[in-house]
Amino acid sequence: MSTDTGIDNTTSRKRKARSGTAHGKCMITRRQFLLYSGGTAMVASTVSLGLFPGSATATTARVVGYPRKLIARLSELKDNVPVDFNYPDDLDNSSAMIVKMGGVQAGGGIGSRRDVVAYNYLCTHQGGPLQGSYVAEGPHRILGQCPLHLSTYDLTRHGIVVSGQAYESLPQVLLELDGDNVYAVGMMGLIFGRHKNLLES
Amino acid sequence: MTTEYYIPEDSAPLPPKNCDVLTTACDYCIVACGYKVYRWPMSTPDGGPKAHENAYGIDFPSFALQDWVAPTQHNVVMHNGRPHKIVITPDKNTRHVNLLGDSSIRGGCIAQKVYNPDKPTWDRLKNPLVRINGILQPVTWDFALDIAAEVAKHVIKEHGANAYSVKTYGYQFMENMYAITKFSFRDVNTASWTWHDTPSKATSTPGYRDAGFDNFAPSYEDWGAADTLLISGTDPYETKTIIFTSWIKPGIDRGMKVISLNPRETGGVTYAKKMGNGLLLDLYPGTDSIVLGAITRIILENGWEDKDWIKKWVNNKFETDSGFGQGTRNTPWQWRTTWGKFQTGGFEGYKKWLMGQDEYKLENAVQISGVDAAKIRQAAEWMAKPKADGSRIKASLGLEKGNYWSAGTPSTNALASLGTLVGAGGRPGQMIGRFGGHQRGGQNGGKYPRNKSPMKVPGRRRRPLDTDRWLKSGHTRFAHVIGTTWMQAMAGTVGLQQSFEQLVTMNPHQIRSHDKQEIIDTLKKRADSGGMIVINQEIYLRDPIGSRFADIVFPAATWGEVDFMRANGERRLRLYSKFYDAPGDAQPDWWIIAQLAKRMGYEGYDWKNSNDVAEEMSRYSRKSRKSYHMIKIAAHREGTTLHEKLRSLGTDGIQGPVFYNYDTGELHGTVRLHDTTLTRADMDKKWGTDGPAGANMHSKKYTHFNSQTGKVNLQKHPWEIISTYWNWLKPKGDELWHTNGRINEIWQSGFDDTERRAYIAQRFPADAQFVEIHPDDAAARGIESGDLVMMYNERVPNFKDTILGVFSNDLHFDEALKNGHIELGKAAVTAVALVTPAVKKGVTFSNFLNTVQPTNVLQGAITDTITGNYNFKLGIAKIKRLGESKYKRTFNSMTFVPRNLTA
Repeated sequence: MSTDTGIDNTTSRKRKARSGTAHGKCMITRRQFLLYSGGTAMVASTVSLGLFPGSATATTARVVGYPRKLIARLSELKDNVPVDFNYPDDLDNSSAMIVKMGGVQAGGGIGSRRDVVAYNYLCTHQGGPLQGSYVAEGPHRILGQCPLHLSTYDLTRHGIVVSGQAYESLPQVLLELDGDNVYAVGMMGLIFGRHKNLLES
Repeated sequence: MTTEYYIPEDSAPLPPKNCDVLTTACDYCIVACGYKVYRWPMSTPDGGPKAHENAYGIDFPSFALQDWVAPTQHNVVMHNGRPHKIVITPDKNTRHVNLLGDSSIRGGCIAQKVYNPDKPTWDRLKNPLVRINGILQPVTWDFALDIAAEVAKHVIKEHGANAYSVKTYGYQFMENMYAITKFSFRDVNTASWTWHDTPSKATSTPGYRDAGFDNFAPSYEDWGAADTLLISGTDPYETKTIIFTSWIKPGIDRGMKVISLNPRETGGVTYAKKMGNGLLLDLYPGTDSIVLGAITRIILENGWEDKDWIKKWVNNKFETDSGFGQGTRNTPWQWRTTWGKFQTGGFEGYKKWLMGQDEYKLENAVQISGVDAAKIRQAAEWMAKPKADGSRIKASLGLEKGNYWSAGTPSTNALASLGTLVGAGGRPGQMIGRFGGHQRGGQNGGKYPRNKSPMKVPGRRRRPLDTDRWLKSGHTRFAHVIGTTWMQAMAGTVGLQQSFEQLVTMNPHQIRSHDKQEIIDTLKKRADSGGMIVINQEIYLRDPIGSRFADIVFPAATWGEVDFMRANGERRLRLYSKFYDAPGDAQPDWWIIAQLAKRMGYEGYDWKNSNDVAEEMSRYSRKSRKSYHMIKIAAHREGTTLHEKLRSLGTDGIQGPVFYNYDTGELHGTVRLHDTTLTRADMDKKWGTDGPAGANMHSKKYTHFNSQTGKVNLQKHPWEIISTYWNWLKPKGDELWHTNGRINEIWQSGFDDTERRAYIAQRFPADAQFVEIHPDDAAARGIESGDLVMMYNERVPNFKDTILGVFSNDLHFDEALKNGHIELGKAAVTAVALVTPAVKKGVTFSNFLNTVQPTNVLQGAITDTITGNYNFKLGIAKIKRLGESKYKRTFNSMTFVPRNLTA
């Protein structure tokens, strides 16, 4: 795992070298963990890969090639205060946020309480900006309503649409924790406006 | 079927520069947003991200509101027998309906609707099926049609036309509806006929009809052009989303007030409130007329009514009576007023009546409806209190099924009267209408033989036959079911399904032979022994109507597989282009009807294609709100066809009624009906300077109202019509109200949305009917979000008999109950609890059409005595916790966030 200390806000080009097959295999485990772990606290290494036959190759494609990018330090995240970053690159539509949700456990959450998640900021309906729309109320954590057509997304459930128009869940940034460092390592779901998440240029 | 084990894609193909581009409109809700289908052969490379490399002509990544292809918007189809890729996205260039290429989640994902054997649509019906030894087996069209026709002829001959019952969708394209009604009414001539959403051929909104309002008079622009918009029984954001986002939301943004009558709060209401322009009148189910009457009373007490409008456009006593007691007494207006229940002596008569009704006094209305007095007062002020400069508020009013499926007659009457008194109904931005449910695909090919119905209400009026009761009474020998589940869609579902079992599966005469004649003889014996034959035209095998009961199944071709015409909720007509090959041997419903009709000896079914049907039916559209006959006239003068002419109008289409100016060669649409601001010059431009030229037709409704005088009938809305039932039903002990409705993401259509879309099924798993329950009600029962609960009703009223009404109270609930015509049954259904303050305390709410856990079993099968339709929204339930559902503590599907939560 990386030992970087500086938060790199530009595309982590040198990290692409890590995104080969070996890295991909590691990510499958992470992916399974994200999608299918239940409420019990597990660590990634114990998750069975055989849970859903056939899904392993499909998921590989969604992490291979993604940069590994340091985006935050866990100890510096304040409860329910989103921090912005760009991912997987600094090109159009890459704006994203990471948030520690005050102890509310989430699918794909990291940290001891599994409450740290990250999402792309563009509504998957027509690309409306979701900045400033984070809500923490009781056990609920959402982004929305989108100012354009009012979609809302549940951040505890992989960004699934609560109400509205969106064609997809909000793309979730896959996270990895190394000590106090939080890395973005992949994405689940297509970013609005892109025909593929990883652009050539 | 799809499951919630869904992993999103992270790429999507872009259509290449020179691909085929076809226009269509969404197949789903009434709004009918304009879409484009991009199609290219599998052998052609996809488009690239540079503007010159793709069919959109823009660079990717694209920006907000520009074109984009989501992973759920592409598919693979067969076109002319060869595989093609398709992308279906909203038309960014449309000038109407879905401005800027807006789209709902339902239509946005419509590319997933098409048949693809590698996708969840693999199980489309592809062959005619005949049930032999209990198993539906693929056969040829000739084999299946010969059997159906021979048995049908026998049933009609031996048991009468009314033994041939037709239960059909009422919306699935004009060509099909024309063929179905021509066959049913002109040829079979059965009175046992109805649409998918009602047990008899009901008037959905009697208050509108009798006042003189067309349900779909307004244009979408009207919904955003008022100062105050009152909405009863729906949140358009949830149910016809793009009317809200493209039209109502911009109105709210510029200050339009929105008053909503609904027992729960959803996204659209929330947004209006957030902008300081929303008011939710959170009423108990069925009490719309009470709240509306109370608002009206406050307006009249303050003298805020639109006196000029009333003087000019409301029938006085003499004019009101001119629609009563004369002529044939054959109009609904005349019949319904036989007992003096509805008609008034004009404005003064109405006012006197209203002021004399205790239930509309504010304190009483508050008690019945459960709405705060301050909110009702606020609503009255928003509707009619003159502005500071003394000018009038411009108000529009719309309603939908929460209003007219809970106490349809008083609720629609009350809304029509309130609207009339504030000057709405006939001017831009001051309109009255329905928001709508399904698209408008109706086209009559014959006249319903009402006089053949044995049912009758008190007075002289015959009433359309209740097909559910007729079937339960054993009179239906041949059930012809087209594109509806019948049972789950009706109320008190359990009783109806038991009748199907008795009449079909438990009858000893079941098909055991390979021989066509033996099969025919068996089915004839079944009919003669008191049993019933079921034939089903469908796109999927539905349970139980197809999978358990149908003797013969005909596979239908649908949206995108045949050229079709249809109109939306502002009467806008479009051609829905064929863009791929229908699966297997599937055929459009008009073709199936035609083959059956010809075999039964009926003439006039020699259509070669869909346009042939359209050109035959166009002349019968001339008096309708969506009259399109003149498109054919224009087409023929230009040497083309009706379909091709309509196709050339693209996603913009044209609003009916359509006129043709023979001098200029131009087609003209109609923005709104009852437009009292239209001038002679406006009409001259449409149809020529000497009045309607050529085949153009005049109708009163263009510039006046649909009443005997062209003015509005101001009507009473007596609570007593429903109050005995409502008071009997009202929750007792630990019962709660149970109502139901549409959910933005899934309401149309279940067979596509929740059953065949992986992402949508992740959000709303097909096996997880939910029930919204208020936190106080939940706490009292130890229920948390995610718990599996049992909802049950130990007194489901079921009106079971086909009876004649002679005395005025014969069909009233209490009288019928006393006389043994109403059976009390039991029903139970499970659901996943969603604890939310968005639903009113004392009320529970579920998705209206979950066929796995149909909560309609909890709703009483009691029809409105005037409309003949069920009060689908009125039900009660007790609720107890069974345990935890699997969704409570997992993260990959469902959500328990309230639908009204927002930043």
